[in-house]
Amino acid sequence: MSQQDTFADQTGGVPPASADYNQPSSSSSPRSAHTSNAGSGQPFSKFKQLEKIGKGTYATVYKGLNTKTGQYVALKEVQLDSEEGTPSTAIREISLMKELKHENIVRLYDVIHTESKLTLVFEFMDNDLKQYMDNVYRQRQKTLGTTENVPKGLDLALVKFFAYQLLNGVNFCHENRILHRDLKPQNLLINKNLQLKLGDFGLARAFGIPVATFSSEVVTLWYRAPDVLLGSRNYFTSIDMWSCGCIIAEMITGKPLFPGNKDEHQLKLIFEALGTPNVLGDDTWCRNLPKYTPEIQSLGIYPKDMKDVLGITANQNVDPQLLDLLSCLLQLNPDLRISSQQALEHPWFQDLRAQIM
Amino acid sequence: MKKTGFDQTAPTKRHASLEMTESTPSKDSSALKTSNENDEPQPVKRISDDDLYRNSTQYRLWSFSKESLQNKRKLLSADIAARFDSKIQSFIEKEGAQLSSDEIEGLQKEMVPITAHEFLQIVTLYAQKVQLFGTKLKLPTEVTSTAVVFFKKYYLENSVLDVHPKNMIFTCMFLACKAENYFINIESFAAKVKQPKESILMHEFPLLESLKFTLMVHHPFKSLHGFFLDIQSILYGKVDMQYLGTVYEKTKKILVDSILTDVAYLYTPPQITLAALLKEDEQLTLKYLELKLLGFNINKEVLNEAEQKRKEQHDKILQTVRECLREMDVSYMPSRDEAWRIDARIHYYLDPMAFIKRIRKQKEAQTSGEPAQKKVKVEQ
Repeated sequence: MSQQDTFADQTGGVPPASADYNQPSSSSSPRSAHTSNAGSGQPFSKFKQLEKIGKGTYATVYKGLNTKTGQYVALKEVQLDSEEGTPSTAIREISLMKELKHENIVRLYDVIHTESKLTLVFEFMDNDLKQYMDNVYRQRQKTLGTTENVPKGLDLALVKFFAYQLLNGVNFCHENRILHRDLKPQNLLINKNLQLKLGDFGLARAFGIPVATFSSEVVTLWYRAPDVLLGSRNYFTSIDMWSCGCIIAEMITGKPLFPGNKDEHQLKLIFEALGTPNVLGDDTWCRNLPKYTPEIQSLGIYPKDMKDVLGITANQNVDPQLLDLLSCLLQLNPDLRISSQQALEHPWFQDLRAQIM
Repeated sequence: MKKTGFDQTAPTKRHASLEMTESTPSKDSSALKTSNENDEPQPVKRISDDDLYRNSTQYRLWSFSKESLQNKRKLLSADIAARFDSKIQSFIEKEGAQLSSDEIEGLQKEMVPITAHEFLQIVTLYAQKVQLFGTKLKLPTEVTSTAVVFFKKYYLENSVLDVHPKNMIFTCMFLACKAENYFINIESFAAKVKQPKESILMHEFPLLESLKFTLMVHHPFKSLHGFFLDIQSILYGKVDMQYLGTVYEKTKKILVDSILTDVAYLYTPPQITLAALLKEDEQLTLKYLELKLLGFNINKEVLNEAEQKRKEQHDKILQTVRECLREMDVSYMPSRDEAWRIDARIHYYLDPMAFIKRIRKQKEAQTSGEPAQKKVKVEQ
């Protein structure tokens, strides 16, 4: 029972940021942990399972109601594999989510076990970014009374607000040496207050831990060594930064930036927009990559203007600083791509930062 | 929206042990080289590695003061004492009719509850077995170490009377493989350790629950790597690189062994690492700390204000590291004999009749005198 009991306390109203979710209930004797939920006939007595709201990488997600507090939660159900026990994807997601407590990362409240399944109880979010954008588009069609030439993108002020929260959440992951690796509109969750939070850490991975902490130089040194760099955060975190660029572009236009259908096609779309490495003047960073084929090397594509990449017409007004941020994120060379920290400090966010502080 | 979302008011559970990380922000180390006049405040605040560690579950949930760790263990042993008592009582009530007064007396005399120290001893013994199996299966050091940490945490929350430590070994190893992203299929894992897979999986959820679903373990090995690189640069030209390589390997071994002690509950990974370095080569480590944290000869007598400050900080860190080293040298490993006696009492607790049977056998052997004993020997 211990898990459910502690959960009752947790969901009683919005907990303060410093509340510790993991403290065991002090009343439970050491022995009681064994009997937790096993065999209790009504494991979900505190939750009413409502409609299905989605399918994650390894689980089905339902909306749930905490009947005691009236709060909504998201119940992520993982079928237990009698072959392997708890799936390792679930183990890793739980492991990472327990470390990540941040306003832009969806909160894991609890884990409940029944005979055949494991249920992760998450903070409830109303929409994902994909659904949200679809809703905005539909609403706009209704208001305008037409389906012709209705712009699909989000209002630029909202793009900025969402983009900042996205980068803030990603930054927190990276600070914690965690890569999300699967950032896409479907994994970005939005609530009624227009808060954006990263969700679905099923593919996420820890890539390191705090090292020698009394010296900043150790870290600097660490980054400098090329062989060590292979595992360093700058190299790997750039994966998530690319995704951020693509997502921000999609928020502007309402359309996926590079909708490729397979690896080669995806590369083709990217090169057609951003140019090929050799034309850009430096392909040393990719020369030894296995898929940097002679065919690609022989391509001589010049980069397009960022406005053209987005398919924005000449008379449409887009903040040049936003275009600059995008080109910083959408650098082919991962070493040139800016970090989440740098992105948050980008001039485009200056007014937003001023408001927050 | 806050800048970082970090809880700056994270409780400070330890006093001395954290001084080191708290009082040495990176600014101080850069001050060793240049004055930091150009330190402009950054618009978005950077989080230090120490802040990160303080927000980890390892720090928030699994770090203790010595007293609170002791109290946790006392609670478990008090529970054991009570359960031994009631077990003996109910056994005598139920079976008393067929027991002699000698047998009852023997039972009460020999079935002594496991003490907190003995509890720790038996857990340490089996924790070492986790390490041995990890080596046997050629698991990466990090994975095996995580398994040991899981194992030890389980018995910080649960009694050895409920699940015998030998039955948790493989569950901890299998879960550690999943948590550390080192995939092993249960079939082949079960085959390798010669256990039915059901017996491994049946304890998985109780284990997860006892771990409060916190599976991220920060081992000191990464710190060792960081310090190793830093020592190379700080002592460049002053120390033989090949020799440093052997120091690295030996220190790593010390760190592996230290997982069986209490240090991970009481100190941070870098503190543990410095303690291990100090143990391996005191002179080298002291020199490194002197150059790193003082920047002047440690015997210098007249110090200006800034130097005085650095000296205090240096001394404080060294003191913490020495305390950590002292803790690292405390072994809870039982002797064979001790281990046997503890294990026997767990066994008799679970099955008091087994104890009675043993007494009866002994008695039989005694009354029939020498020949019976010889007979036993022959049979063996």
